[in-house]
Amino acid sequence: MKANPTRPSFFHHLHPPTIPAPQARFRYTLGAGGLSVYLVLLLVITGILEMFFYVPSPGEAAESVQTLAFLVPYGWLVRNLHYWAAQLLVVVAIIHLLRVVFTGAYAPPRRFNYLLGLALLLLSLLLDFTGYVLRWDEGVQWALVAGTNLVKSIPILGEGLYRLVVGGTQPGPAALIRFYAWHIFGLTLALVGVGAWHLFRVRRDGGIAVPPPEARRDASRISRFELVRREALAAILATAVLIVVASILPAPIAPPIREGSPLAAEARPPWFFLWVQQLLKWGDPFIFGVLIPVMVIVLLAGIPYWLPNPRPDELGRWFPAGNRAASLLLVILVIILLLLTILALSPLSTFP
Amino acid sequence: MQTIRLFLASLLLCLSLLGAAWLQSRQPRPVSLLPTLTGQVEYCLTCHADLPEISPSHPVETFGCVLCHGGERLALDADLAHSTMRGGRNPSEFAVVEASCGSGDCHSGTAQDQRDHIQRAVTSVQGTYAGAIASIRFTYGAQSDQTARLGVYPVQDDHLTTATGLASLGTFDPSQESSPSVKAFADYCLDCHLSAEPLPGAQYARLTGCAACHTPTANTDLDQPVHHLTTAIPYTQCNTCHNRGNYDLRQMQFHPRTDQPVDRLHDYYQPIAQFVRCEWTLDCVDCHTRFEAMGDGDIHSNKKEIQYIQCRTCHGTLDELPLTRTIAGQDDLALRMAFLNPVIDLKVGDTVLVTEQGEPLWNTRQLADGAFELFGKATGQRFTFRPVMGTACEQKLDQQESRDCHECHSVKR
Repeated sequence: MKANPTRPSFFHHLHPPTIPAPQARFRYTLGAGGLSVYLVLLLVITGILEMFFYVPSPGEAAESVQTLAFLVPYGWLVRNLHYWAAQLLVVVAIIHLLRVVFTGAYAPPRRFNYLLGLALLLLSLLLDFTGYVLRWDEGVQWALVAGTNLVKSIPILGEGLYRLVVGGTQPGPAALIRFYAWHIFGLTLALVGVGAWHLFRVRRDGGIAVPPPEARRDASRISRFELVRREALAAILATAVLIVVASILPAPIAPPIREGSPLAAEARPPWFFLWVQQLLKWGDPFIFGVLIPVMVIVLLAGIPYWLPNPRPDELGRWFPAGNRAASLLLVILVIILLLLTILALSPLSTFP
Repeated sequence: MQTIRLFLASLLLCLSLLGAAWLQSRQPRPVSLLPTLTGQVEYCLTCHADLPEISPSHPVETFGCVLCHGGERLALDADLAHSTMRGGRNPSEFAVVEASCGSGDCHSGTAQDQRDHIQRAVTSVQGTYAGAIASIRFTYGAQSDQTARLGVYPVQDDHLTTATGLASLGTFDPSQESSPSVKAFADYCLDCHLSAEPLPGAQYARLTGCAACHTPTANTDLDQPVHHLTTAIPYTQCNTCHNRGNYDLRQMQFHPRTDQPVDRLHDYYQPIAQFVRCEWTLDCVDCHTRFEAMGDGDIHSNKKEIQYIQCRTCHGTLDELPLTRTIAGQDDLALRMAFLNPVIDLKVGDTVLVTEQGEPLWNTRQLADGAFELFGKATGQRFTFRPVMGTACEQKLDQQESRDCHECHSVKR
């Protein structure tokens, strides 16, 4: 790609001509937003490659995953990259959320885009869960049963929703094809659509959050060429790291779910739902498995609306004073979720 | 500066790609097999190419591995591939035998189709251990007669064919027993039924289930896998349970034999027993039939009810020739048995000995002069013998059991 300031390329055109240098620093952005976009791209590419081998039927799904993992040349690499990129996406998206709240960047006019970002995080989690279920092996059986039963626990709507999601009275062929369609089409389309909207709103809302010009201590800016170079650097490094991780740590795999295969003794959901599993041990599945997680989301969504926002001149740096309440709330929430996750992993914690 | 960073990062990416390519090059080249019976490709041979074929009647091109062993046919990761194997290394264990040896109705069925091997073996005295359990419980007053009521696992039989057949057996549960001796029996003496793990020691080395007999492992290291099934079962395999020592019923202890036999004659161990030459020159399976060893499909109370071969089965009596049958067609059981273990070139038209229950002694053949030849199933050795009729034998007509023959014909040790 030739850096020609008079004729920016397609990729350069996706970026603003210049952005403020202090807010373009890695230590401010953590590169989380850009990395998320790149990971989604990587997931789409590896996902398309996986689709050439994956068979969405209960009898063949897990075996087609085995074919990909063991028999297709570089199939293991594609599958492991898809897995690890998906895990990393959840981590990076959460880091992005933390960055935005801890810098107060959600303040108007970016409140709505904050909600779009939150929606993207939820879509990523749903994509992760549906992708996890597509393995259709003994390792996902528990999460499949427990996760779908949560839907059933919702009063009045539960039974109908369950039939809508699962396509019957218990997980079977209809459930698998539904999860498959949601994973590769419905949710992916939503993620790409809302993602494009999110990126559009970043530009429409004035780019990255910065203080008004008179309040800036450093007025220097970097060009879109420099920005694209930094993004390329991050993408190349992320790919290299992912390839190394994918080469060393294979994605989980287990024997297929067959007629009469017993429910795995060790019941573990995907790691990002461990906190929900821990909550479920304490009582009513609707309250602890649906209501409380929904309240967590509502709480997060309410931050820009219910809590004091930072002043405009406080923007563009970490932990502004006017943003204490929001930061504190998020810290407490993160600690609680981490504690629940650790509890869920501890051997002392078992179902009553 | 930026250019150098980009260059270094790209170098790193190339290195990681090279690493992945190196890993791919180290992956084993998958060796596929498409067994005709399953029609589903399997890749077990990628690692197990050097395994000998289990038997000529189970060719790997026909059966493959997964039909019997289970496991993940596509996985090249050892842990995953082996995770769903039936019975671990031994798919003939009775807990899983119906799904492995019995699948496709191969060895599972009814007496009419002669495929009821599993049904017979599982209900046999060697499988249920009902005889020993009934005898001990009777001896120590836990039951009023010697009719079996309990086995090491519960069985039932809806179709009785013999006078001594039982409808069902419950489970022998030592915690339900009040006699300390019966409890001690449960603790120390349940080592010799077909589902029991053998005692430690190469002299006891055998597998469980069908393989306890059909996979000869006697005097070998059980940690070394054996991939072999045969009907040519040497007496040494029977000796992993039988003929190993004596039981002390007061102490409820097993006393292993302490002698070091150097030849076949002295390997026969019952200090006070009498026996004739054919009882040690032949192998156990040369005389004892499939019904005797594997059961006749009925649940019996003890060995006596199932064992019926006597000297006269082959030799006849002074006024009767032994029973024989001329092989009429290719489908004759004798021909099928001889096909499995071709120590004898049996043909349609040959006359073989049969037992009083009609079981062919397929390793025998009547010769032109009225004598018989017998081929050792495990040794292939040829023996000839004449019927008793017309000889100088002083056998009394009402004393036909083997112990009566032992009076004159026993071997001195």
